[in-house]
Amino acid sequence: MATPSSPGAHLSSDTIALDKSAIVAFASRFDPQPYHLDAEAAEQSIFGGLCASGWHIAALATRLVSETLLQNGHPFVEMISVSQLNWSRPTFVNEQISVRIALDASLSESPIPGTRAQSLQVEVCNGDGAVVAKMSATAAISAESALEAQP
Amino acid sequence: MSTLYLRDRWFEDLPVGEFHVFGSHTFSELEIVEFAEAFDPRPQSTDPVQARCNHRQGLVASPWLITATWMRKMVDYMEVYAQGVNDGRRNGAGVAIHDLQWLEPVRPGHTVTYTYEIIAKPDRVIREKWGLIRSRNEAFNQYSNKVMQFEIDILAERRPDSSHDV
Repeated sequence: MATPSSPGAHLSSDTIALDKSAIVAFASRFDPQPYHLDAEAAEQSIFGGLCASGWHIAALATRLVSETLLQNGHPFVEMISVSQLNWSRPTFVNEQISVRIALDASLSESPIPGTRAQSLQVEVCNGDGAVVAKMSATAAISAESALEAQP
Repeated sequence: MSTLYLRDRWFEDLPVGEFHVFGSHTFSELEIVEFAEAFDPRPQSTDPVQARCNHRQGLVASPWLITATWMRKMVDYMEVYAQGVNDGRRNGAGVAIHDLQWLEPVRPGHTVTYTYEIIAKPDRVIREKWGLIRSRNEAFNQYSNKVMQFEIDILAERRPDSSHDV
């Protein structure tokens, strides 16, 4: 396992591309509203074009967070809570998203056995680097490895 | 009695205290695994056998599956009351959530019931057109234990000529 990055570090993820079929597939199942399903209707909507469900973005952001933490030696177990999530702009067809993660320095008590709670500030960015969503979240990190990581 | 057209209402027509039960959903092992493989590939949600030995002692739904299913129940519920309303909708797009917590695991076969209550109408005007409706949303399993809660701010169009108070 990689050596955990130091507290206060910023981590950057890989990117995920969102094509029309992925956007429509998620929306058909979980968020079947016209601006996530139909390009013509979306043009007339508040968003001005076919765009991903905000919940699709949140789920993919969490996937990117978990993969990035694991790659950097932080044994992510699962998400515990999200104190704040703002969607600031739509993610349109064929845009990419990635996340930037800032880790708070200290771990705290977790409600999940065998874990510690790690606070995270997450920015979800599109291919142009514009922020599409921001999330303040708490993730459960394996306690065993968290102890090992201490000096 | 007039029919409720929830999505056709202006910001001014949505009262604090309005409460709805969106309905229930029973989670299958297959949908838990399929969602996790696509969006949240953690072993406690993708592998029923390995999950028996992990911290959850059995397969659990991804937290985002529980939340995404809230969205689906809301859309289905609102559409029932908004038949014929399509692009005429005046509320719906979410801008922010607060205090989202997943309190207990949801396992295959669990039935989760989703509730919604309007708790505030923050005094803001967005892009000269929209107001914010804040709701508290809760989800309970078949034992009446709360498994999830959050608040969400949703845009609702203000009545164009309204000069009167909210």
